[in-house]
Amino acid sequence: MANTESLENVVLELRRGVIVLAALSQLSTEQYGYSLLKQLSEQGLEVDQGTLYPLLRRLEAQGLLESVWKLEEARPRRYYVISAEGKKILPKLKKEWADIVSVMKKMLA
Amino acid sequence: MKLINRYVSEVGKHLPLIQGREDIEKELRSTLEDMLEERAEKAGKPADEAMEIELLKEYGSPQKVAMTYNPHPYLIGPRVFPFFLMILKIVFFGIAIGLSVVTIIQLLSQLSTGVAFMSPDFMKTILQGVGNIISTAIAAFGYVVVAFVLIERFVPDFKIDFEEEKEWDPAALAKEPDADSISRSELIAEIVFTFVGLAILNFYPQILGMYFFSGEESFFIPIFSDVFLKFIPWINLIFLAEIAVDIYLLRNAVWTTATRVAKIIIEGASLVLAIVFVRTTDIIGFTAESFANSPFTPEQAERFVTVANVSITIGIIVVVVIVSVELIKAVIGLVRSLNRK
Repeated sequence: MANTESLENVVLELRRGVIVLAALSQLSTEQYGYSLLKQLSEQGLEVDQGTLYPLLRRLEAQGLLESVWKLEEARPRRYYVISAEGKKILPKLKKEWADIVSVMKKMLA
Repeated sequence: MKLINRYVSEVGKHLPLIQGREDIEKELRSTLEDMLEERAEKAGKPADEAMEIELLKEYGSPQKVAMTYNPHPYLIGPRVFPFFLMILKIVFFGIAIGLSVVTIIQLLSQLSTGVAFMSPDFMKTILQGVGNIISTAIAAFGYVVVAFVLIERFVPDFKIDFEEEKEWDPAALAKEPDADSISRSELIAEIVFTFVGLAILNFYPQILGMYFFSGEESFFIPIFSDVFLKFIPWINLIFLAEIAVDIYLLRNAVWTTATRVAKIIIEGASLVLAIVFVRTTDIIGFTAESFANSPFTPEQAERFVTVANVSITIGIIVVVVIVSVELIKAVIGLVRSLNRK
């Protein structure tokens, strides 16, 4: 019981950092929260709504994303897109990720 | 869609009072409507209440959803927590020491008026003292928590540089202490005692006196007369300045010319105040008149008055000496540091 719980916690911690990178990488074209969620899921990354929406707001507050409300099909939707600041740091994050992956691959081989 | 609307406003109720609350609600509503629409399409029939219920059940309870938007799921966050602990230790330490001293003085004055050692009255004072420490500590804990909650919420830039976080040079361990480095424990002790003094002076002036017990009756005489009251704002000013400088020193961990000058001014002001004290007549509360309604005979009262006046004068002289030593230390420190530059 305790083991499953700690396993879940570790997995959650591992994914948390990845989601930021995943979201930033997918927002070069603007998307609203639910469409981003579906897009991530189609590519194999299942993210909880309760994680993604607050995260998008946080990234916007940090200046990495921009957002705008648009009225579509009689429904207002908040569209997010990567900001200039976000574009600047995305390559660095990608490089960081590649480094982590190559180090861990070797370590876990 | 009725249920979605109710759900969204329920989430709104649980959202923290942060900016963009309406925005969050609007985004949540739009998302839920999208999801519902998708489900209806898949099922090949228009959305109904059963679908709505299923969707909302999966989305989670309004409290849980609201929680995910809370950037501060704590009262006192990790940013200020170390400083919170430090202040709490100082305050608890100060309360324990200060109130123990008060209780001991009460016990001694009881003994001097004929209350037997370990008698019920004596034990009562001890128990009251312990009770006082506990209740004051709990109240103080509350005040400190409130202060830090306010800092957490409204002072986003608040940050204390603990020594460990600064660039730390292990070579410092081997070196002789620097003349400019401060003694942390000395500063903390000074803050504690100044704080206790400030608290007693302003909130518990009634303990600055002597209780006499004679049978069922107790009789209280304050140490200082009303003349003393006009000194309180000045003492407060000096004490607060002292605490401010000490906290500044704690944060920066090193003496500078500015802090040395500030210290000299404060100690100088204390010295002047202490001297004015000694020279002010009628400042001491123990007079023949104050014993007029007491159960003591005039001879006993006179003896008390003489002893009390002499001891209080001695006390003030001790304070003058201590302050002078501090003042001289601060001046020497300043001169030395200026010479080094």
